[in-house]
Amino acid sequence: MRYLIRRTLHAVFLLLGVSLLTFLFSALTPGNYFDEMRLNPQISPETVAALRAQYQLDRPLPVRYARWLNAAVHGQLGFSFAYNSPVAPLLWIRARNTLFLTVTATLLAWLLALPLGVWSAARFGRLPDRVISWTTASLLVIPDLVLALGLLILAVRTGWFPTGGLLSVGFDELSALQKLGDLARHMALPVVALVLATLPMLVRHVRASVAEVLDAPFLRAALGHGIPYPKLLYRYALRAAANPLLSLFGFSIGTLLSGSLLVEVVMSWPGLGPLLLESILARDLYVVIGGVLLSMIFLVGGNLFADFLLYWADPRIRTAASAK
Amino acid sequence: MRKDRPSLRRRCFTLSLLLACASTYALPVKAFPHPQQSNTKEELLALPGEIGRSGGRLIVPLRSEPKTLNPLIAADSSSREVIGAMQADLVHINRATQLTEAALVKSWKISADGLQYTLTLRQGLRFSDGHPLDADDVLFTFRVYLDENVHATQRDLLIVGGKPIAVRKVDAQTLVFQFAKPYGVEERLFDGFAILPRHLLEKPYQEGRLGQLWAPSTPPGEWAGLGPFRLKEYIPGQKLVLERNPYYWKTDAKGNRLPYLEELVFLFVPSADAQVLRFQSGETDIITRLGAENFSALGRQQRGYTMADAGPGLEYNFLFFNLNDLGEKSSADLARKQKWFRDVKFRQAVSAAIDRDAIVRLVYQGRGAALWGPVTPGNRRWVNAAIPHTPRSLDRARTLLKEAGFSWSTVPDGDSALLDPDGKPVEFSILTSSSNADRTKMATLLQDDLKQLGLRVQVVPLEFRSLLDRVTQTKEYDSCLLGLASFDADPNSDLNVWLSNGATHLWNPSQSHPATPWEAEIDRLMEQQLSTPGFDQRKRLYDRVQEILAEDQPMIFLASPDILVGAKNSIANFRPAVLEPYALWNVEQLYFRNSRENASR
Repeated sequence: MRYLIRRTLHAVFLLLGVSLLTFLFSALTPGNYFDEMRLNPQISPETVAALRAQYQLDRPLPVRYARWLNAAVHGQLGFSFAYNSPVAPLLWIRARNTLFLTVTATLLAWLLALPLGVWSAARFGRLPDRVISWTTASLLVIPDLVLALGLLILAVRTGWFPTGGLLSVGFDELSALQKLGDLARHMALPVVALVLATLPMLVRHVRASVAEVLDAPFLRAALGHGIPYPKLLYRYALRAAANPLLSLFGFSIGTLLSGSLLVEVVMSWPGLGPLLLESILARDLYVVIGGVLLSMIFLVGGNLFADFLLYWADPRIRTAASAK
Repeated sequence: MRKDRPSLRRRCFTLSLLLACASTYALPVKAFPHPQQSNTKEELLALPGEIGRSGGRLIVPLRSEPKTLNPLIAADSSSREVIGAMQADLVHINRATQLTEAALVKSWKISADGLQYTLTLRQGLRFSDGHPLDADDVLFTFRVYLDENVHATQRDLLIVGGKPIAVRKVDAQTLVFQFAKPYGVEERLFDGFAILPRHLLEKPYQEGRLGQLWAPSTPPGEWAGLGPFRLKEYIPGQKLVLERNPYYWKTDAKGNRLPYLEELVFLFVPSADAQVLRFQSGETDIITRLGAENFSALGRQQRGYTMADAGPGLEYNFLFFNLNDLGEKSSADLARKQKWFRDVKFRQAVSAAIDRDAIVRLVYQGRGAALWGPVTPGNRRWVNAAIPHTPRSLDRARTLLKEAGFSWSTVPDGDSALLDPDGKPVEFSILTSSSNADRTKMATLLQDDLKQLGLRVQVVPLEFRSLLDRVTQTKEYDSCLLGLASFDADPNSDLNVWLSNGATHLWNPSQSHPATPWEAEIDRLMEQQLSTPGFDQRKRLYDRVQEILAEDQPMIFLASPDILVGAKNSIANFRPAVLEPYALWNVEQLYFRNSRENASR
């Protein structure tokens, strides 16, 4: 229990540190949201100054941070200059779309990676293993951006998939089945882009972990006792190899909000990516901080979850923790 | 078989998960109650032109989401474009002719001394929620625009001669606007001031909540306007759907009430390239703000759409030097460079060395116009055609530099380097926005042009807001390549660029006294044209301003890009203009030629 409390406290301090640093870096970056108004000949400097004062940009940095922290503790993440509205609902609506995309892609990637990795490990050094190794290595060196652009070219050339967005404009007029088809068609390319981007890393980790365990004496003994090979692989070897994979799974959860930002921007997915990019360029300070903090919460939460899973799955950690 | 069961269960689970998600996104459509159409007293405005057919849904991409539907605080171009289709003004500038025409008012009269404008509203007009429009709405509108606590972005336009315009109601249809000084802009002033519904906004205004109202997520029932379309649905991150305003006050020549389109959908597509892809694949109907490269790419493979070049717009790109008087804050290096920058012959020499035609050819692929003054050829009424279009001349540039005391030395690698009168090499940097590929290319071309004069130039692409911070706040820069796009064809839209006390007098802003005699002369001419009635007299004064700017070169004008747009062939009445909104300025007249396309949308 003390182990879990300690990990949770670490997570809270980490979040505090990240919020402070993000606030500091964002606030110290040259330029602010209202600078572009200065270039509008029809808006006077007095009007710009009044707007700055209205959003309290003229206050000292520590005061602004303290006010923001106080609001954040109460569940409000500040106010967007551009949207003239609270940040939390802005982020949440888009985070929902991001999660919808990334949860689907992550689940799919893990569902593919586990059998592929185990299969590859079982044929370690042979042709199927080498083919998988080469394919995953090739996918690893292709940047996400190129993958996404390649898929977009496919969409434009063939017309099989829409080139962006979440739903068609006439979505409301479709039947339930057509709605499902429309959503699936819109999701297909971003999901494929994300799966292709994450799959190689997962496959290689699963392969390495399982291959390492397969040499263990207890598995050789189990094989000698006549346990069927597939059962041996999936029930015993995979379980024994789970330790690093659980940490990796926690990391996968951590990247649910931030891992798809680039793909979202390229494929016009209405998630956090386009909003954060726009906010960073426009210096919409609190939206940026809110977005980073949300991603951090997922990262910290994901790691925490992985720690809990490890604690549950690995008796060595439990005994080490209780010995302390 | 045992293996199949869990996988089938998993498949069913995935299917139901997807169905649940799909139904989550199928948000209910909220609409206004159907209007009562009969109103015999309506004084509608009949538009000439091609008669169209009703129905259809037009899908237009927007680079970013509209931040607000509140015309008082809208500052970004997406919000302004959307609001333009939802609101109406008293007098409107026709984007094709660039002249004013009656809109919500049927007539206006200006007193002989130019101080009093009497406007008469059309009778029987209604807001999009069916509520009648009268003079009280107009009074309320200008009261809130002028209220300092509201922070309306257009407030400064209503301050004439240092005093706010006074508005008085004569009767339910008549209003008098009183000016402290005659105003040369005359009735153009009223363009862009959306008339607001007092019945919806007065209470929030009194409670001090007006600035927070009318976010895009506002329920349609709490929003009303006088434009051709009204709010129907907003899905954050995805789209804003507008529907036909059944109370709109314009008809076609046959008396059919406009607009023709049933729905106008703004789809949020965050990047220029993504917009091209979606237009190409038929997911959007119109595309605007195209770069020359994308325009050519789309033009090469036309599939059911037509690309149109409306000619040079009002954007002018220019190079300017740091002429700020920084006093002790100035570094020794900048102070040394400012000696050259302040010498008009140095600026003229730089200007003479620039190959503007090459900029148009290489940056805009020929779809633009070279500039020698601030007014682009697209601004037909105000451009001074007498300003000479001097071709590039390195000889003239060298002569000017020699006259200013500069000389050349041969450096070890064989190139000659320009030396200032103190014998030091002439080097400076050009700041430019890293997010604007066209301007970065322009800066590189300038670097190459000036190298041939022996001038060493470093191009420094900076993120746009960091660049603005350097130019407007810290003033730590040598020179900068920027562009400005005039809001209107009238010179007053750029008043603060040319007045020496203006905040956008970029090379030396907010001066307490004009730093140079020519800036004092520009101040005098601009002030004079501001209060001079009549186009011809104002044009003479503004022509002189253009001449001074072309002679003294505080900004070295470079080029102006064409307005490049595209539309599906099935869209009729599509007549792009060089003033914003380029393609949607006559959205009420746009219609789909093909009735099958109408039905399918």
